Amino acid sequence: MLNNEILSWRAATRPRTGAAAIAVRSPVLLTSYPLLDTPHCKPSGRTSKLPMPSINNPHFVLRRLHSLLGVVPVGAFLAFHLWENSQSRFGAQHFNEAVVGALAGLNYLPFIEIGLIALPLLFHAVYGLVIIGGGRAEPLRYPYLRNRLYWLQRLSGIGLLVFILVHVGMTRIAGLMDPAIHADLFGHMRAALSNPWVLGFYLLGLWLAVLHFANGLATAAISWGLTTSAAAQRRFGRVCAGFGLLLGAIGTHGLAGYLIAPTGAGA
Amino acid sequence: MIGIAGSQQLDLRRVGTGYAGGTRDTRASTRAGIETQRQDPADNQSVELRVRRQDAPDAAPYWQTFRLRVRPGDNVVSVLRALRLHPITADGEPVDPVAFEHNCMEEVCGACAMLIDGAPRPACSTLLADLGTVIRLEPLPKFPVVRDLMVDRARLFERLSRVKAWVRLDGPWDTHERAPRIAQRQWATDYLYSRCMSCGICLAACPQVDGQAQDNNGFIGPAALAQVRLLNAHPLGRYDKPERLHAIMAQGGLTDCGNAQNCVRVCPKKIPLTTAIGELGRQTTVQALQDLFGA
Repeated sequence: MLNNEILSWRAATRPRTGAAAIAVRSPVLLTSYPLLDTPHCKPSGRTSKLPMPSINNPHFVLRRLHSLLGVVPVGAFLAFHLWENSQSRFGAQHFNEAVVGALAGLNYLPFIEIGLIALPLLFHAVYGLVIIGGGRAEPLRYPYLRNRLYWLQRLSGIGLLVFILVHVGMTRIAGLMDPAIHADLFGHMRAALSNPWVLGFYLLGLWLAVLHFANGLATAAISWGLTTSAAAQRRFGRVCAGFGLLLGAIGTHGLAGYLIAPTGAGA
Repeated sequence: MIGIAGSQQLDLRRVGTGYAGGTRDTRASTRAGIETQRQDPADNQSVELRVRRQDAPDAAPYWQTFRLRVRPGDNVVSVLRALRLHPITADGEPVDPVAFEHNCMEEVCGACAMLIDGAPRPACSTLLADLGTVIRLEPLPKFPVVRDLMVDRARLFERLSRVKAWVRLDGPWDTHERAPRIAQRQWATDYLYSRCMSCGICLAACPQVDGQAQDNNGFIGPAALAQVRLLNAHPLGRYDKPERLHAIMAQGGLTDCGNAQNCVRVCPKKIPLTTAIGELGRQTTVQALQDLFGA
């Protein structure tokens, strides 16, 4: 009698559907999420129970940092740099005083140059090489625009690494070594760009940089979730292409300015 | 379609209820008929199959050429099935039949994905009418070859389990609640992702998916990411959204996508894979902020 009462009480309090009753007996569902214990979620040497796998995961943070630094400050500096140098057509005096002189007189200049430009650029370049190592582009097998840009983004990244090293060496480092170059950077650039090979090298580097920045801006928007639908990604891609063409035009204008601008002090 | 008709059906076809096109020879319904009809080298409606063969998972691949007659409506699977009945190379050498996988014949199971003329496609829905007279067949890249055109797709399912691509239907809780309701608009967009048949074609075309990588570190690929998108929106699956997002915010996860967007171009089911990747980009950004500052 007592046994029967207990049984009926248990029957009344048991979950009503068959599925739920089965689930109670399944030990897997009663444990914590097995996903968090799998090796891929677990940076080596850490505990298995991570409360925040995302921001504790160096891989995720590094990839997002690479993406962010490419836009700000590296991309922003590129836009600023091309804008400043487009003033070359106003001649030697204006360029050496209002552009180079004004920038050289900035407070905390070493911090800005190293902390805000050189180090982010170095990280972006080195980690970019790591990313390139993890992919295998097939631009011929899949001749779609985005796939070709994927390939060009990697190609331009490697090209830019070479260009920026030569470019910084020719200007900033040369200026540090020789005060005469720093004093008349306009004349130094004019002499260098008079060589058609150097001019071609600079034009190539400029357009590679602009391509890399504009395409990187469009893909960063996808990676961060700014653009989601295919239509939005296409639309923003066109905006970035337009922005890139504008930047490239400003940069080309700047390179041409060194050659066509008057050199005299009174110009 | 081939070789399945019994004698009764054969008789029916002989009296005229057979093939709608009217051009098909009734001999084709028998094994002997296929053999005599398909192996006619003089016929100008023949194709040349160049098949990349591999006898064992670690054996060296080699190429073999076959010549077969095609019929109207043939697809790559039906031609391979016909070849299986009579595996003789163009040089007349009898060889082992070409190993390949197929199942549904209506582009819903994903088993027959392979490289056809260099492009990853389901063999069943690739019609010979759309191909040239020389057809190159290779196993689906990024997957280990079992034999010939047969690959081991287990890593695809390992990746689905890595991102917890399921919903927990029941558990130790009361299930009195009524069936979940979904807005018609959301149902329509979610449905696009539910059409995934795990064929692996998107992974084959993805430059970021490494065929040699160890499964625990390699990019999980668009298919598994699209299922995260689908199940995060599911009325029951959304409870596990943070766990799924954390799984794709690790090595080999969402951040390994290079935005080459080949996946969405080659997907035979037209799944908006890159939209899923963009939406997951937004979800992981929000998740990272919630992890950093508190939800």
